[in-house]
Amino acid sequence: MVDFARVQKELQECNRDFEVSGIRVVPKSEANLAHLLGTIPGPLGTPYEGGTFKIDINLTDGYPFEPPKMKFVTKVWHPNISSQSGAICLDILKDQWSPALTLKTALLSIQALLSAPEPDDPQDAVVAQQYLREHHTFLGTARYWTEAFAMTSSLDVEEKVKKLVEMGFPETLVRSALDSVGGDENLALEKLCSG
Amino acid sequence: MPIPEINNWEHFRDDDIMLRHSAIQAEEAMKVPFIGDKARKPLILIVLEPISSLAVEYQLGSPILLEKIKVLAAQFTAIRRTRGDGNCFFRSFMFAYLDHILESQDRPEVDRITVNVEQCRKTLLSLGHAEFTFEDCFALFLEQLESVVPRCEIPISHDELVERSRDQSTSDYVVMFFRFITSGEIRKRSEFYEPFIHGLTNMSVEQFCKSSVEPMGEESDHVHITALSDALGIPIRIVYLDRSCDDKGHVSVNHHDFSPLATDSTKANACCSEAHKPFITLLYRPGHYDILYPK
Repeated sequence: MVDFARVQKELQECNRDFEVSGIRVVPKSEANLAHLLGTIPGPLGTPYEGGTFKIDINLTDGYPFEPPKMKFVTKVWHPNISSQSGAICLDILKDQWSPALTLKTALLSIQALLSAPEPDDPQDAVVAQQYLREHHTFLGTARYWTEAFAMTSSLDVEEKVKKLVEMGFPETLVRSALDSVGGDENLALEKLCSG
Repeated sequence: MPIPEINNWEHFRDDDIMLRHSAIQAEEAMKVPFIGDKARKPLILIVLEPISSLAVEYQLGSPILLEKIKVLAAQFTAIRRTRGDGNCFFRSFMFAYLDHILESQDRPEVDRITVNVEQCRKTLLSLGHAEFTFEDCFALFLEQLESVVPRCEIPISHDELVERSRDQSTSDYVVMFFRFITSGEIRKRSEFYEPFIHGLTNMSVEQFCKSSVEPMGEESDHVHITALSDALGIPIRIVYLDRSCDDKGHVSVNHHDFSPLATDSTKANACCSEAHKPFITLLYRPGHYDILYPK
């Protein structure tokens, strides 16, 4: 059995200082605290800056004596993260895990890994090769992936605008309607129809 | 859990390797339950019995070991084996301590250690540990302690203690309790421990605690034992079974007593050796600890 009482406390503790850390953990559904979604902001001064990275978290029955299973949902270009599967190569998610650690400290460690790649102990050999041999290209690719996959909120908005414009509403009205309802497509549609 | 045969290495990924690795570890570890049965047989057989399996292990190596086993037989009545899963020191310590309290019904000792445990709780909080990470471990240890010397009910039986100590979950929580205590003590007195740790590993005190104390399954060394003994104020004797002998080939079994620092409560009679006489004796063979029962 996962220690759900502890998981509850972890969620409270983590989300309490979201303003400071920028790190959040939420259950994927209220019914099951064993499946969680974490988000970490890309560290400043790295190609990941400005991105928001989603991490899939699965807790096994042995938690907190066994490490949480974590992998990137957001595609990321990094030597220690699989560009295909999002698998993370990090010691504390394997044999260096301890019940003294928490979901938040694990996510902080992942954030630190984004700042300080370890290409000598790679998860993704292709990325690691590029990191070591064509560092400039690596930085460009990592930045491009961040913009393409980790900054989806702005892309989302464009998609919604496009959809609503295709329904026949003028773009300026669509944009102001989306703005006024905080980006919710359905509410914006209602507003446009009633207006 | 049986370990599946691998036919296709091409699609073998990190996760699979981890799974397979832990399956092999689990299979090895299952060969000895957490805390073995104390052999209740005539003396010479008792000590020789567990060592006989060892003797097979060292058969081609060293007659010194066999000599030393004879010496041990003169001093101890029994050995209780613990599982070799990297937690053997803490598990041996847990059982030896609770067993001693159950036998002695030493309420003052329980009151004394409870004060130290509360002190450790404060240490962990001041070091920035989130309380929810350690509170369950603390509660479970105190619960075990209470069950062997209850204030108003009858104590649990010896068999019940063995049963509980064999329960994976209970046992792991208590092991983790000791890991928390050890880590907190080392970090609290990091100036004292730094040179030892540096000599051992090249790590900082912080790194050492994170990588060699707090994770389950990390083996214990002098540093761990010293810290645990100091933090809880419990003297520990370690008897060494290794291949050392003097120039003339004479063998003697060495031991080392870990004597806790005098705390305020014990300072008054620090000269009194009774307070520092170890009631926990563990047998150390390179890489492993078991419990010894003195005559």
